[in-house]
Order: sequence, then C-alpha cells, then structure tokens
Amino acid sequence: MKKINSLFIVDDDPITVFGIKKMLKLVVACEDIQVFENGQTALENIKKRKEFGQSIPDIIFLDINMPIMDGWDFLKEFATLDFSEKIIINIITSSIDPSDYQRWVELKPNFPHHINFKNKPICKIDDSDLEMIDMAS
Amino acid sequence: MKAAKTITTDYLLKQLPKATALVNRKQILVGASDSWLNLFSEDQKKLIGKHIHMLFALHEDISERALDNLLSNFESGSLRHKTTLDGTTCWFESTFSPWFDDKENVLGTIIQTDDITKIVENELELDRIKTLFKEKSEVAKVGCWEYDIATEQLFWCEETKKIHEVPSSYLPRVNEGIEYYKKGFSRNKISMLFHKALEEGTPFSERLVIVTNKGNEKWVKASGKPITENGAVIKLFGTFQDIHEQVMTEIQREENERLMTTLINHLPLNVFVKDKDSKKVLVNKAECDYVGKTKEELIGKNDFDLYDTKAAQMSRDEDLEVMRTMKPLIGKETIGTKKDGTATNFLTSKIPLLDLEGNVNGLIGISMDITHLKKKEDQLRNLINVTSIQNKKLINFAHIVSHNLRSHSANFSMLLQFLKKEDNESEKRQILKMLTQASDNLMLTLEDLNEVVAINTNINLEKSHLNLNGVLDKVLQNLTVLLRQNNVKIINNIPKDSTVFCVPSYLESILLNLVTNAVKYKSQERKPIIKFHAARLKNKTLLTISDNGLGLDLNKHGDKIFGMYKTFHNRKDSRGLGLYIVKNQMEAMGGTISIESKEGFGTTFNVYFNEED
Repeated sequence: MKKINSLFIVDDDPITVFGIKKMLKLVVACEDIQVFENGQTALENIKKRKEFGQSIPDIIFLDINMPIMDGWDFLKEFATLDFSEKIIINIITSSIDPSDYQRWVELKPNFPHHINFKNKPICKIDDSDLEMIDMAS
Repeated sequence: MKAAKTITTDYLLKQLPKATALVNRKQILVGASDSWLNLFSEDQKKLIGKHIHMLFALHEDISERALDNLLSNFESGSLRHKTTLDGTTCWFESTFSPWFDDKENVLGTIIQTDDITKIVENELELDRIKTLFKEKSEVAKVGCWEYDIATEQLFWCEETKKIHEVPSSYLPRVNEGIEYYKKGFSRNKISMLFHKALEEGTPFSERLVIVTNKGNEKWVKASGKPITENGAVIKLFGTFQDIHEQVMTEIQREENERLMTTLINHLPLNVFVKDKDSKKVLVNKAECDYVGKTKEELIGKNDFDLYDTKAAQMSRDEDLEVMRTMKPLIGKETIGTKKDGTATNFLTSKIPLLDLEGNVNGLIGISMDITHLKKKEDQLRNLINVTSIQNKKLINFAHIVSHNLRSHSANFSMLLQFLKKEDNESEKRQILKMLTQASDNLMLTLEDLNEVVAINTNINLEKSHLNLNGVLDKVLQNLTVLLRQNNVKIINNIPKDSTVFCVPSYLESILLNLVTNAVKYKSQERKPIIKFHAARLKNKTLLTISDNGLGLDLNKHGDKIFGMYKTFHNRKDSRGLGLYIVKNQMEAMGGTISIESKEGFGTTFNVYFNEED
C-alpha cells in the first residue's frame, strides 16, 4: 500500500469518479481524496490551499471534457501557479481524437509537472500513475 | 558664144536654191549648185571634175551598187544617205533623173538632194511610238476599235482580236461584234450604249462580259467615243480592255473580305483592331453590341471615351506593353467597367499588329465575356467553402459521437469488471445502480445525437415566410410559467409585419432555446429583461435577442460557445446542447448566428435568416 497525502479527482462523470476511487482503494492509502466536477472548482480549491499553507495534492486525476473549465484550460491555469513540489497529473479521457493526444505530446516536455495520458476505460491504477516514471499508456 | 553659153549655164547652176548636181556619162561631176556642194565639202572647187562615187562615199548608208545602177543606166530613182555634221545626224534623199540635150541624147544624170532629216526623225519617232503602243497594248491587254458610219466598217486592232480569241485575219462586222457580248445584261447594255453613241454622240465606258470565239467568258472594259464632223457623228472609236483577271481578283478579294467580315462579326467574341494611339480602327458586331454603339460611333474612339478612367488606363498600359515588347498578351483576365458602372469579366488577348516592314502598327484585341463563368466559379467556390465547412462539422460530429459513446462504453466495461470481481453484496448493488445510470446516460446521449443528425439530414425541410411576432408570441405563450416564475420582462421591438423565411419548427426551437437560455443564465442581482428586435437587411433578416443576464467572457469561451456539450455556468440543467442545436438549425437553413456578451452585463444573440431561397 502506497501512502499518499492528498489526491484530487477532477471529473464531471460520477461513474468514472466511482471507478477511480474504487481502484485507488486497492493500491493507495490516502486520507485526503477530493472530487471536483470541473477544472474551475479544483483550481479554486488548490489556490485556497496554497493561500492557507495547506498541502497541495500529490496526484491529480484529470478529465478533459468538462463544463465551465475543461482539462486543458485547467492545465494552462495550473501551470502558472508556483509550486516547489512536482506533482503527477493523470489525464483520463474517453477521447480518441488524435488532436487531444497530440496536444499532450506537445505540452508534456515543457510542463512544470509530470503529466500522464490515459484512455478510458481504465481497469486498474498502475504504479506509473502514482510515481514519476515516464510512461504513456 | 559656145563658151559664154556654157559659163552661163554653169553660173545658173551654181545659183540654184535647190541642191542640184550634174554628172556626165563617165560619172564625173561636171557642175553643181553651191548648196549641193555644201552638203559634201566646204572646199567646193576641188569637187568639180571628181568621180561622183568618191563624193557619195563621203556619206554613209548609201548602197554603192544601187548608185552605180542608177548612174550607169541613167534611170530615175532615189537614194537615202546620211552624214554627221557637228555631232548631229543629217539625212538626205537624192533623186536621180537622166540629163538630155535638145536632141534627146543622154548627157548624164541630174541629181537633186533634199535634207530629209526632219522626215526621217518623224518616221523613226512614229515607228517607236507604234512599237511602244503595240507593246503596251499587249501588256495591258488594251485593244482598240473603230467604226466608220459611212462605210459601216468595223476595225479591230490585233489586241482586240486576241481578246476575242479570233484569228488576226478575222474581219468583224458590227452585229457580230455585239453578239460577242454575253446574252442578257452585257449584250443589252452594249447595244444601248453603242446606239446612244451613234445617235447622240454620248461616250461610254462599261465593264461587261463577253463570250469569246472559243467560248470563254471574259470580263472586259469597253469604252467608246464619237468623232464628229460638222456636228454629225461620222466615226466611233474606243478601247477594249481585258480586265478579267482584275475583276476576278476583285471578286476574290470581295469574297475574302466578306468571309472575314462574316467570320469576325459572328464570332461570339469581342474583336477589335486598334492603332498606335489605341484608337479603334475595326470592331466586330459583338464589340458594338457590348458597348452599345454602332460601328461608325466606335471607330476612332479610344478606351477613355468608352470606359471608366481606371479601366481605360489599365487597358492603355497593356496596349503599350504589347506594342513595345511585340509579344502577344494571351488570355488575361480583365474587368471592363463601362461609364455607367456595369462591370464585365473578360478573358482578353492582345496581339501586336505589324506592317509589311515588321514595325508595330497597332494591335488586334480579342475579348471573351466570361462574366457568367466567373459567376459560376464564385458559386462553385462558395459551394466548396460550404462543403468544406460541412465536412469539418461532420468530422467534429464524428468525434463528438465517438467520444460520447466511448465514455459510456468505457464506464460499462469498467463497472462490469468490478461486478465480476465483487463479493460484497452491498457493493454489488452500488455497481448495479451505477450501471443503470450509465445506461440512462447512454440513452440520453443517443437522443441528443439523433436530434442533431435530424437537423443536418432534413436539409429539404420546407421553408416558408413566417410572421416573426406570430411565432414569438406562440413560444412565449408556451413559456408563460417559466417567465412568470422568474419575473422576466419582455420588450418586443419587432416590427409588426416582420417576416422570416424559415422552417417553422426550427424557428420555434431557436426562439425557445434562446429565451430559455436567457432565463437560465439570468443575473441574481437584477430583474431579468429580454429584448427582441428585427431588421431587414439586403438578403437577410436580422433578429436580435438581448438579455441582461450573467454574460460570459468571450475571450475565454468564444470558440466553444456553440460547441456540443459545452457549458459555461455551473447549473445542473445545462447539458451544452441548446446552442449547438440552434447553430445547426440556422446553418441548415443557410443562415448564421453570432454572439456578443460581456461578463456581468448580459448577452446578445444576432440571428441572421437567409431570405434567398
């Protein structure tokens, strides 16, 4: 069981959220799992945590297609925030639009944090989703 | 006495004004007039007593034998001889006659010599003229004829006979002469002209056709003139010219010209020839029709007289370039703008026109009106644009479909896998509940997609002219409860008679969606107001729907506003389908929709209905 301090799930689909949570239970021990319906609310929460000196999430599971602020816009905003720690962001999407994948390929090398790209359906949480091993699934 | 008599005779002889000489039987010169001696030598005294042959030998062109013959036989006759004095040739004619004494005994020969230089010169000149005339008439094929009224004799010269193709021995008669003319116009005409010349002395000159002795038809020019004596016509004379080749060439040229004119005039192209100053020297019918002027009005005009200044200057520059480089301009697309502003698209070619020495003389221009082709091209380009937009939309839609279906199938797959492994009954129930929800979501998505597909496939839904207020009232009626609950104020500025050309169900759907949106995204800080306005534009009707609601930041969301499943406010009932459907419906009817919005102030939708069919 890997111990993780804080973990965010940003997805508007309750079923996916349910699935991720269920799979996480098998591999992770985490007291602080937060769920957000879109990028906007997640970002606001992170900003608040930073302001109050609380710990920011170690790992984010991020959906792309969401209302109000989608995954890409979230990443753009998130990159502007100044953190000393590097965190792991797992993009989880059902999109098989090649332009989405391409966008990730272009974004990854210069992004201040570690980003993975995973297509749905996901069956289990891999070690690479929790540690900074450079691997794309 | 005898001596005195002799001297007297000699002296008399010496003074005779006509050059005369006496030669005895031995052909010795025994006496001569001074004038005769002068013809042979200045030293006259030495000549008397000399043999006459010696004297004549001083002159040229005299036959020794003929001279001897005359002198020996004391015959009468004459001889011509000449001499050159101071570089000019003098001709003489010496007449020989026998010299008798009173008993009719032959004493010798009397020679009288005349200066015939003038006569000989005239003879030579006449000969020369005759030869020249003959040559000329042969080359020019001009013959002559003469008719003597008294003797009724008709004379044809050699050339006239040649033209008629009769032998030179042929002797024409007047009736025959007239019968050589071709039956019909030519024969009637010549009879009439000949008769008029005879009776009234009227000269004539006419181009007519003859049929020659050998049966060939020939164009001739026959002319005649009377010779009068005491006011009466006594003779007719005239020329007769073979002009067959000339007439044939003329006919050929005329035919060629007619061919060219017919060809150029009936070409479905504007053809013109310009001189060095770009003035038109030739125009065809199509060019005249295009400009709307007659040929006579166009000749001598330049482009500045006919087109607007800008177009004319462009054309003149082209002309100068073509004439300077001597290189043709082929198939250039140009726009001709007439003074009244009507523009025509042309495919123009300009070819330099060279004179026989190879210098540029002007140019030939050919313009094809391609306005209708241009229009077609524009329509086609438009169609391609529409098609490419449609295509993009289709790809986008395919992605939406695949994404939406995939997300559901991914959920099914994940949940089913959980279910397979799960032993806990309450957890199993939870998973089953999730599966049902996934199934409901899938159904909903399919319904949405179906609605979008329906819009895009029902392209031929009947459009009709709808009263905008009528439809809006109906929609607002259906939304009465919603509007009342939200305390919405409606301000309708749509003119009473405003109509739109639209599919009825689409118009209802569009109004319903936009009004519902305005209510849904109302600001909590103020009483919601929705304003309607309509205006007729050129080919469109603009419907404006403005609210004072939340508004949104178009810099952030502008490109996604009409996208599928895009929502921008955190509301449970927003599914991100309404505007996507509105946009699809508008585009399916050839219209457009755009948005203006400011966060915190409100949103305005501009809906453009296409009023062309």
